[in-house]
Amino acid sequence: MAQSAEMILRIADVTKSFEGVHALTDVTFEVRAGHIKALIGPNGAGKTTLLNVINGLLPPDIGHIYFRGQELIGMSTDRIALLGLSRTFQLIRLFTVNNATVLDNVMLGAHKLLKPTICGALFFRRKTAREERVVREQAMDALAFVGLEWAAAMLPGALSFGNQRLLELARSLMSQPELLLLDEPASGLNDAEVEGFMQLLSAIRARGITILLVEHNMKLVMNVSDEIVVLDFGRWLAEGAPAAICADPKVIEAYLGACMENGGS
Amino acid sequence: MNEFSTLVQFFFSGLTSGSVYALIAVSLVIVYKVSLLICFAQGEFFVIGALTMVTLTSKGLPMPLAFACSVLISAAVGALVERFLIRPIRDASVGSLIVMTIAISLALRGLALLIWGKESKILPPFSAGKPIGVFGATLQPQVLWIIGITILVLLVIWLFFEKTTMGVAMRACAENRLGASLMGISTEKAAFLSWAWGSGIGALAGMAVAPLLFMQYSSGVMPMVKGFIAMSVGGLASIVGAVVAGYLLGVVEAYTIGLISSQFSDTIVFTLLIIVLIFKPSGLFGATRSREV
Amino acid sequence: MRRLGRYWWIILLLFIALYPPTLGGMSAYKSGVLIFVGIYIILAVSLDLLMGFAGQISVGHAAFFAIGAYVSGILTAKYGASPVLALIAGMALSGAVAWGVGRPVLALKEYYLAMATLALNEIIVTLIIGLQWLTGGASGLRDVPAFSVPGFSFDNHVHYYYLVWAMVLLVVGSSVAVARSPFGRTLIAIHSDETAAKTFGIDCARYKVRAYVLSACYASLAGSLFAHYMGFLAPDDFGVMTSINILVMLYLGGIGTIYGPALGAVFLKLLPEFTYQFQDYELLMNGIILIVVLVFMPRGLFGILTGIKERVFARSAR
Repeated sequence: MAQSAEMILRIADVTKSFEGVHALTDVTFEVRAGHIKALIGPNGAGKTTLLNVINGLLPPDIGHIYFRGQELIGMSTDRIALLGLSRTFQLIRLFTVNNATVLDNVMLGAHKLLKPTICGALFFRRKTAREERVVREQAMDALAFVGLEWAAAMLPGALSFGNQRLLELARSLMSQPELLLLDEPASGLNDAEVEGFMQLLSAIRARGITILLVEHNMKLVMNVSDEIVVLDFGRWLAEGAPAAICADPKVIEAYLGACMENGGS
Repeated sequence: MNEFSTLVQFFFSGLTSGSVYALIAVSLVIVYKVSLLICFAQGEFFVIGALTMVTLTSKGLPMPLAFACSVLISAAVGALVERFLIRPIRDASVGSLIVMTIAISLALRGLALLIWGKESKILPPFSAGKPIGVFGATLQPQVLWIIGITILVLLVIWLFFEKTTMGVAMRACAENRLGASLMGISTEKAAFLSWAWGSGIGALAGMAVAPLLFMQYSSGVMPMVKGFIAMSVGGLASIVGAVVAGYLLGVVEAYTIGLISSQFSDTIVFTLLIIVLIFKPSGLFGATRSREV
Repeated sequence: MRRLGRYWWIILLLFIALYPPTLGGMSAYKSGVLIFVGIYIILAVSLDLLMGFAGQISVGHAAFFAIGAYVSGILTAKYGASPVLALIAGMALSGAVAWGVGRPVLALKEYYLAMATLALNEIIVTLIIGLQWLTGGASGLRDVPAFSVPGFSFDNHVHYYYLVWAMVLLVVGSSVAVARSPFGRTLIAIHSDETAAKTFGIDCARYKVRAYVLSACYASLAGSLFAHYMGFLAPDDFGVMTSINILVMLYLGGIGTIYGPALGAVFLKLLPEFTYQFQDYELLMNGIILIVVLVFMPRGLFGILTGIKERVFARSAR
């Protein structure tokens, strides 16, 4: 177990079924701190379900998830987030009511740094304003990091699809995560945007943030990830370095099968 | 009256109000099933139906004809409301939709006030006849009418939604829009028809109890609220659940009034509602479905 | 023009302050109308914090209005308590009720939530009717004294007008402060998408309850002010119809803007003053106005005003 000190996330024997259908069966793998680990598999392999289990949106039937040695199962999503785990969504989920701006969205990412209260809003206004100023600067930095500082005052709905994905990423970075779960962050992006996104991922990795990446875009996965784990029909299929996974006959077979079903997508 | 006959008497009054709650709950469920909308104006159709019938019979129309006309008029009002007021804001938030149906109920109530004024009106019973004695309790003949009408309405609903193509297609609308359109009905048409059905049934409930209850423009609020309770307890989208819950509510309420406290019966009923909502949000008779993230 | 836009609130303040001595001579009737307007502004603004910001539907806001009014009424009329203490007690009880029922009730969504809040309103009203020995029941609670602080009694209607409007400014001001603060932003996140909010560490249940408690305390304050002005309380004033009226103000004025619902309250409470000769039309007219607003101007009266303002500024900037 000496090695597991470097393992930031350990998923052990996770099983989850919906009304009798197994979405995940005995999934076990680990994510090494500081790495980008890609989680791939054909449609319906249970990737998003696994992310939902990791950040507490779905309780698994059995199994354990350890984040830096701490059991996450049974913890609420917001508690898990406070530990330093952040995620983005496959279908973009930005905050849009009451004319919330792009900047508001990013600043909301910093919730755990502010923990705002009514008293703070009414009685400790100077302290609140000071903290707010710091967070605003950080938010502008995060926006600049993804290249969206020009859009700070805009409404998220006015952004292009690709920029909305970048905004989600900036928002997640604001929570100063140790582990970032990205659910198909490149889907719907054009080639140039994917190129830019790969550089962003490397930059995030260089900051020491671990990434667990669910992605269909193989070019992106092969280029950025340190390690890949493959799920097929909710089961662990293979795990290893990108080159090894590429050559693995089991993986090729699973993907060929998927290609047939999807008409070659 | 001995103790047993008192209990029977409470049961009869429970059946009477239970029929009304069941009918209103069913009318709410029909609209909800097809258009996923709860109409806060359903109590107004209850009043409109009853008062229209009062007017028509006082103008000398024979009872059966007045009855049919009142149902049709109320159904038409409901359908028009859907077409011209609900459809334009169909995609608004649930909050706006709730407020829209509240706005409609205010407007309809205001209209009823202008047409019929503030005095309470009562309808003559559907058939002359002396109260019947059962186990020492008295049963008004009108109560038999109410129960009969309720059974008949439920039968018609069942036939329509189970046995006719149009009914089956309307049911399909809530679950599967494409499937419904394949069966030759658009969601718009289904919503339109569901409002006609809903307001017609709401009106029937009002007309059935009109000989027992003084009606005025604002009499619809409490029956509507009770109908909601029955609907929620029945599981929102279940007609059977709404009927069972409606009668259950009527009977529980009657015994609460009679045996526990007439002053706090509503307090108890509403507290029970909150408890049911919290611990069994799918209703007592609804299937528990696991929620997706 | 731009300056006017920025300092409109000073003009408003001056108007509120100077209205009684200059324009009114201030008959008891006029001050009464304006006091009601003020009380309803507090109610509408407090509901806006809950509905417009936290996104939680309530069809039972009058429950807390009732608690405030009856706690103030009972404590001062029956037990001779100081109105200030009674007012605070009312807010404390309202807050406690909101806190107690908030977690389970606010876990409900949409129609279920609407139903549960409506039930809460009915429970409070039926309790008021039922607990006759305490509340006077359906026949009402008499002889609520005028509001007073040690050494000064607000028994003059102009004095009470100033008191109510001072409270209005306090409530509106603090609501705006809350709405614009990080706390308000957090509520907006919950309103938008609870699941996403949770993934950023937001304890949604706790924040919803906090918003509910604040909203209930403000509504209770409005209730206490109402009780001391009326001197007589009857359960009819606190039913679901009152809750619905507050809801109407929210949507009429423009939900989620604080100023909008205040404007809605002013509009809806002043309207009958101009249409009193057609009293029977009031219900129908309220309904039609609301329908028109919902269909044609989903941002409400305040949305129209800001739209006009923007257009004027765009023109003057040219």
